[in-house]
Amino acid sequence: MVTFSLSFTLNSAPVHIAIEPNARLLDVLRDQLGLTGVKEGCGVGECGACTVIIDGETADSCLVLAASVAGKSVTTIEGLEQDGILHPLQQAVLDHHALQCGFCTPGFILSAKALLDKNPHPTRNEIKTAISGNLCRCTGYMQLIEAIEDVAGARQEG
Amino acid sequence: MQQLQYIKPKSLHEALQYLHEYAGQAKPYAGGTDLMVQLRAGERRLAETRYLIDINGLAELHGFAMKADGTISIGAATSHSAVSQSALLQEHAPFLCAAASSVGSPQIRNMGTVGGNLCNGSPAADTLSPFVALGAEIELHSLRGLRSVPAPDIYIGAGKVKLAPDELAVRIHFSSAAAYNTAFVKLGRRKALAISRMNVAAALLLEEGRIADARIAPGCVFPVPGRVPMAEKLLLGQTPCAHLFFECGKAVAEEMNARTGLRWSTPYKQPVAEALVQRALCAAAGIAEEE
Repeated sequence: MVTFSLSFTLNSAPVHIAIEPNARLLDVLRDQLGLTGVKEGCGVGECGACTVIIDGETADSCLVLAASVAGKSVTTIEGLEQDGILHPLQQAVLDHHALQCGFCTPGFILSAKALLDKNPHPTRNEIKTAISGNLCRCTGYMQLIEAIEDVAGARQEG
Repeated sequence: MQQLQYIKPKSLHEALQYLHEYAGQAKPYAGGTDLMVQLRAGERRLAETRYLIDINGLAELHGFAMKADGTISIGAATSHSAVSQSALLQEHAPFLCAAASSVGSPQIRNMGTVGGNLCNGSPAADTLSPFVALGAEIELHSLRGLRSVPAPDIYIGAGKVKLAPDELAVRIHFSSAAAYNTAFVKLGRRKALAISRMNVAAALLLEEGRIADARIAPGCVFPVPGRVPMAEKLLLGQTPCAHLFFECGKAVAEEMNARTGLRWSTPYKQPVAEALVQRALCAAAGIAEEE
């Protein structure tokens, strides 16, 4: 077994790890680095539960070869909380009761974060497009959209 | 998934050397959005694959360029997101931007590439239809040299392409369609994240209110992609109107039946093809579908 030596930035911290060359980013994050906020839903890029942010762009980590993120910056849901304080999007999802089982939630929040980082004041349609690669099968989308609008609006006022 | 070695070449020449040395065992890795699914599904066409050659770092495969003669080129590893947001393409091939923005989801568009969309050989590739309408040529490199192939000509059939194992798509070239009115319409099973059941790219050149040139490229309709000259001919010299475009849609659907033969899906596909062609032409000409 030939391993690949992978160095990248994960949630703002440098990581060096030996991986299998054919490993998916999803598996390295979950099984080797213990970041179980990244979920495997469909495994074919349809559901968005495994969404992470790579250099500012969302990606389905089930479709990304882990070796290909060498030198890049990856953000998972675990990287959003700072010093015990939830990210405004995480807090808004709680405040709007925008989750039931929670399986899709990390992916939604990361899609929303990537949107707001680029476009702090999105329209409702821009929000819908940004989360169109994430499926929710229990809560529905209205509360999520309202939670994201809430954060965008709060930023507008601030 | 089978054991694979990951290689990230630092230059195009190095990438071509690997593709040559491991011909048949090496696959270019760009967006990964199709390849990773196919590898995990154990698809037979990838059974011999042992090396993934990551081509994302190669400058030649990225970005947009326009020459003085109006020829535009796109790097094959350019993402769908980059294509859909390109100001240059918005001006010179707006229906290509529309097609790129309809691929998969934001996550897929961020990773998936236009070169991959063409080279995977899916008849449902969204960017294929505008590329066919644009008369796009794919620039293929190998250690043996360089060749340029019209986009439809690399397709043999669903999932099959005429690409040698040591060849790499580097850029896609086409002439500006800024003088044309263009449209891309797509029918999927739902709005978000849908694979095309059928799509149509249309481009109309209007001169003094009459159609001077017409290009119609339907997707998922023919066994190998292509334009529909006999339907396009109906439009030349005519004034755009919904009835004319409906007749043109009927001609496209008849051509579909002629090229594919009658199938179990024909009673569904025929009226859908008629309607989608009419819709695309009306959208391009900026007129309503109902008279």
